[in-house]
Amino acid sequence: MSNVATKAKELLESKAVQVVIGYENGTNGVVRPAFITTPAKAAQLIYDERCVQNLAVYLTKHEVKHFGKMGIVATLPVMRSIMMLISEQQVFPDNIVVLGIADDGNILDFADMKIMQAHIGKSNLENPSKDQEKLAELNKMSLEERFKFWEQELSKCIKCYACRQSCPMCYCTRCFTECNQPQWLPVQSNTHGNMEWHILRAMHLAGRCISCGECGRACPVNIPCHLLTMQLADQTFNYFNVHAGISEDMKSVMSTFEPNDKESFII
Amino acid sequence: MARIGVFICHCGENISATVDCTKVCETTAKLKHVAYATEYKYMCSDPGQSLIKEAIKKYNLTGVVVSACSPRMHEPTFRKACAEAGLNPFLCEMANLREHCSWVHEKSESTTQKAIDIVRILVEKVKHNAALQPIRVPVTKTALVIGGGIAGIQAALDIANCGHKVIMVERSPSIGGHMSQLSETFPTLDCSQCILTPRMVEVLQHPNITLYSYAEVEGLDGFIGNFVVKIRKKAKSLDEKVCTGCGLCITKCPVKKIPNEFEQGMGFRHAIYVPFPQAVPNKPVIDREHCTYYIKGKCKVCEIVCPTKAIRFDQPDEVIEAKVGAIVVATGFDIKHADFFPEYGYGKYKDVIDGLQFERLASASGPTSGEILRPSDGQKPKNIVFIACAGSRDPAKGIAYCSKICCMYTAKHAMLYKHKVHEGNAYVFYMDIRSAGKNYEEFVHRAIEEDHVNYIRGRVSTVYERDGKLIVKGVDTLLGAQPVEIVADMVVLATAGIANNGAEQLAQRLHISYDSHKFFAEAHPKLKPVETNTAGIFLAGACQNPKDIPDSVSQASGAAVKVAVLFSQNELTREPLVAVVNRMGPPMYSTCVGCFMCQPVCPYQAIEREEYKTRDGKVIKTVAKINEGLCQGCGTCVALCRSKSIDLYGYTNEQVYTEVVALLNDY
Amino acid sequence: MSDFEPKVVAFVCNWCTYAGADLTGTSRIKYASNVKIIRFPCTGRIDFMLLLKSFANGADGIIISGCHPNDCHYTSGNFHAKRRWIMFKELMDFMGIDMKRITFSWVSAAEGARWAEVVNTTVARVRELGPYVSYKQMVNTHIEEEVTNE
Repeated sequence: MSNVATKAKELLESKAVQVVIGYENGTNGVVRPAFITTPAKAAQLIYDERCVQNLAVYLTKHEVKHFGKMGIVATLPVMRSIMMLISEQQVFPDNIVVLGIADDGNILDFADMKIMQAHIGKSNLENPSKDQEKLAELNKMSLEERFKFWEQELSKCIKCYACRQSCPMCYCTRCFTECNQPQWLPVQSNTHGNMEWHILRAMHLAGRCISCGECGRACPVNIPCHLLTMQLADQTFNYFNVHAGISEDMKSVMSTFEPNDKESFII
Repeated sequence: MARIGVFICHCGENISATVDCTKVCETTAKLKHVAYATEYKYMCSDPGQSLIKEAIKKYNLTGVVVSACSPRMHEPTFRKACAEAGLNPFLCEMANLREHCSWVHEKSESTTQKAIDIVRILVEKVKHNAALQPIRVPVTKTALVIGGGIAGIQAALDIANCGHKVIMVERSPSIGGHMSQLSETFPTLDCSQCILTPRMVEVLQHPNITLYSYAEVEGLDGFIGNFVVKIRKKAKSLDEKVCTGCGLCITKCPVKKIPNEFEQGMGFRHAIYVPFPQAVPNKPVIDREHCTYYIKGKCKVCEIVCPTKAIRFDQPDEVIEAKVGAIVVATGFDIKHADFFPEYGYGKYKDVIDGLQFERLASASGPTSGEILRPSDGQKPKNIVFIACAGSRDPAKGIAYCSKICCMYTAKHAMLYKHKVHEGNAYVFYMDIRSAGKNYEEFVHRAIEEDHVNYIRGRVSTVYERDGKLIVKGVDTLLGAQPVEIVADMVVLATAGIANNGAEQLAQRLHISYDSHKFFAEAHPKLKPVETNTAGIFLAGACQNPKDIPDSVSQASGAAVKVAVLFSQNELTREPLVAVVNRMGPPMYSTCVGCFMCQPVCPYQAIEREEYKTRDGKVIKTVAKINEGLCQGCGTCVALCRSKSIDLYGYTNEQVYTEVVALLNDY
Repeated sequence: MSDFEPKVVAFVCNWCTYAGADLTGTSRIKYASNVKIIRFPCTGRIDFMLLLKSFANGADGIIISGCHPNDCHYTSGNFHAKRRWIMFKELMDFMGIDMKRITFSWVSAAEGARWAEVVNTTVARVRELGPYVSYKQMVNTHIEEEVTNE
């Protein structure tokens, strides 16, 4: 049995949690999320390098929450998502147990959020390096080239909103896209409406994106939409020296300010 | 169906000279849902207003666009006219054809076209206007005054004399504040206590004022007109109703060597004490930190000697709640402790003192009965040096701002010294003399010319002791930065005035803002200097920034009037242009998900939590709720809300969206 | 292209820039008539979506203006707006949307002449840039697509 499975079994047996959110083997060599509610089934849980999905998205789902106290297998992006969700009052520390995964794959024991916070504080909070390279590449292009790039990419968007559904921070019960008084965004898919949606999504994640890249992975037409939120994550750090998801009581960058915030474009 | 009336004003020729008003009228009359359009020379005149009123009735209008001058000018006029004709005033909008069009463009087709566009934008907007009702909130006609210094006293008396109840909370055992410590006051040199104590007594005896001394504000809930304040009355260890204030307990108390705060540490007090002889209320408190009984568990001398048996050793702190409608914050200031400047030797040399200590020395009721004597040996100082700007105007080391009062009190100190030690020499080191104020400049001149105080423009670099004398080394910049050395017997530092200790915590408790120096912030530096950003909370005195007595008193009376204005009505009427979080039936209750990211954005702390619960009390959903008593309608939360759950009356999402679309599409 | 008249939308706060623009009028200072103003209580109220909607509806340029820092009628609305615009600008740059078409400014109620200057420089700049063809094309493509689909 994997380390994760052993720990999950313990938690379920001692009734410390009622459900453990983790990964299990699916078909054709892929992994899929698993919601384990009995010790007997804990053995299904695995953890390996294929387990990249940000499971924190399930913490705010009614279908999962109703089990009761939740255990969750958490890589760094999941931990940061949890911090964000706590700071935004969507998840309550008393209601979850985090099975942290260290870089070496071992289980980290987080007795409380402060310990997890310390762990996050010691970790690399930059965007993943392959994404950072792509960002650099795009930033080197001319304005026109970038516009063409995104126009081309976003023309593929079918407005399935998988990017939204896969994101732990997109937990609103009514999304902006569903507002029809006024109808801010066109319902159908077209390039400019798609662009407006992706701008909107990135702006709503400004200061909140924890760089997991899940939106990009979830996209069925392979739009690198995670680069938009990651660019802003990068800029949040450049301008305000803050990384998202580093503590449970952090105030969001977009709802706070410093009088001496630096910019050079306002005349 | 909307029926909009468009009323185009020529404003004499102010609009019609460059805008073809007839064309604007004809074109806008054809816009969808415009039921009536007309033009007139002066729409704001009585006949003009009648035109609007008649049209509202005749065409049964559901919205009005007055196309005239700036809404900042006449919006109230036309809204009132609409209301008089039975149309909800918030269904009237103004198109700014004068300031934003006719006056800033030449006469041309494009100017007329812009005028048409402006009217069209407002026609589209007004279709989405809602009939709003003014917000009414009840007013509790009791004021809370925090701080019993001269500012608090003045405010409390003014409010109480208007016939309203006042609760005054003072942290120390007596009211009076810093003013009660002063010897004489500038620029008249009248005795501070003589003018202050009658007012202190008036506070105590005023039928409308309830005084809680030795008490602190612990928390505040609610909003303008409807605050609930929590006050902690610290245990005085004595039953005030029984105590007659005879003072026998004080004379018999065996703990005698406690540095007296009122004397700025230059005298001693007992463990049971009144801070000073004229204290109000004049009943002692036991300082539990120093009292032998509380430390060792025995003594009780005071209890034994008390003729009325008023001592209560087991008295607990008492927390009371009171409803108040308005609050005046008058918590005063503190001085920057002079040990901040090790080069001036404060704390190291006994004869280096600060300004407030000098006040006590000069005071007839002070530790030396008003004689200026060196703390070290009780000798009269023959040479005395005053150092102005000790900490003020010193961004590198102290504070950047000017403490404002020091120039004047330093001149006063030098004068008082010269009046008491005729043969002595007084020197003042200064940066600039700031003596703006009625009779202030004359006062400083008197010090220089009549009392022969030596003013030296320059800073002091160091003070050190040599053979029992204080050597003051400075420069005289008016003599080409020539070094000056004065052999002094005493040095007085005019230390900076700073925010009172605990100011930050109090501001947080009251939800008012404060500046980087922890002074409380006014709502507007010019036009709302007495108000804070929290409606119903006002400022008086030096808690805002260092102030002298006349300024503090004036501001206190200003604050009192603000309170009186508020209390002049039974209900508070506010414009309903406030934000609102949507509500709907279960199970959603609201589209708000309760992330509360809007909470820190609100400058007015108007965003509250509302819980929806099951019958057995289990919380189903927590959503944001805007307190319409506090909201000022800036709309920052509206633009921030991701799920668009908040909207702002008067500037709703529908309205602004429609305006943008109308502006750019010619239909 | 010489007769191109740019359409410019101005989103301004009521207390500073709107009043400043009133002062421009009272002072009879002339400026380009291409700009039309929409009044908001505060820059904090201005939704970034409105900027996108302006471009989508054919605007060639946009002006956003409010009270100078520390002068906000509501104390901090403009500071929040500033953070929002910092993020918005970075995102727009990254997506290749030309921020030269948007002027962000602080214009106080006393700066009537400055308002005229802000408008004139913005209009001149946008005139030089020409119509926002690339954005308009993107918007128009789908309209054409829809027409052909029907």
